[in-house]
Amino acid sequence: MAELAGVYAASHGPLIIRKWAQVTPEHQQALNTAFAELGRRIKAARLDALVIISPDHWVNFSLAHLPSICVGVGEIHDGPNEPWMMQEFPHQTLPGHPQLAHHILETALESGFEPSVSHRMILDHGFCIPLLKAGIAPLPIVPVVFNDIEPPFPSVSRCYAWGEMLSRAIASMPGQLRVGVLGSGGLSHSIGEATMGLIEEDFDHECIDHFQRGDAQALCKFLTQRLPQVGNGASEIRNWVAAHGVAGGRGFELINYSAIPEVIVGCGFATWDLGKRT
Amino acid sequence: MRDYWLNKLFFDLQDPAKAAEYRAGRAQVLDRYTLKPEVRAAVEADDVGYLATLVNPYLLRFYFLVAGMPDDEFLRRIRATGGVNG
Repeated sequence: MAELAGVYAASHGPLIIRKWAQVTPEHQQALNTAFAELGRRIKAARLDALVIISPDHWVNFSLAHLPSICVGVGEIHDGPNEPWMMQEFPHQTLPGHPQLAHHILETALESGFEPSVSHRMILDHGFCIPLLKAGIAPLPIVPVVFNDIEPPFPSVSRCYAWGEMLSRAIASMPGQLRVGVLGSGGLSHSIGEATMGLIEEDFDHECIDHFQRGDAQALCKFLTQRLPQVGNGASEIRNWVAAHGVAGGRGFELINYSAIPEVIVGCGFATWDLGKRT
Repeated sequence: MRDYWLNKLFFDLQDPAKAAEYRAGRAQVLDRYTLKPEVRAAVEADDVGYLATLVNPYLLRFYFLVAGMPDDEFLRRIRATGGVNG
């Protein structure tokens, strides 16, 4: 059977690419070091496939069709279509892993989830900034989109349950396959609203504390209460919650947290020690 | 409340060719969308505060980038709304 070989989380943000030259040297170093450490750990895990959970920033979906969760099952996915990202990202396409993706899809359907399906997904900066900055592309990818962008959002507890389901799917996947899971997004940021640019460090540290304590119920309760009160970008922490669920709610290890005003994101990076899974 | 056609307009302008056409002449692009008169007027007036009540905030931010409003000016106007538009 396949093996869960690593669980990770990383922030993303367009300005990490688009305005990199305006990021202070200190913050550039913080981001580069964090992404490099993330990349080192992913490479050390010798993954055959990486499931990435990220929002769709209006490149695949619109108000005409907006799934809560979508699984990319194709053999090939398209690289980013954002012009500033296309200039930096060296791959026009990325390989998928249809066998793993279909197994995840079937396990989801058997587990009471009804995700949408894409046979060819555009992977925007949410997927590709971690791949680029951690130096891990072109790893075969199973993209999973969570709607973190436009209400109504999937509930935090369902995102955690999705992670638990994903763990079961990987464990029951036939074949010798080393699989990783990466939650992309967060922590606090605010885009296109009155608080734009605000990084809520206290909230971010509370989140990190909850992940470290490992009480999934308390984490879900905290986020359910607080996410509607903070900047809209924090909604992407749902993707970290799913990663937490994959890891059984145990073993969270923070690589780095830095509030970086130049990219208007509270940037967090983490892995989970799978030896501590319940 | 979301205005579908306004969101559709902003979504479509992510295409660089459509964005270039829009910057060259807004009217002919706006004519293709079934915008209510007050919504079209708000677009033509760069009324950030009003549009923020009708459109996804990510698309709003993206639109004014494409439309050429300087970041500082967009920030000043969106912060002036003081509201929650998620």
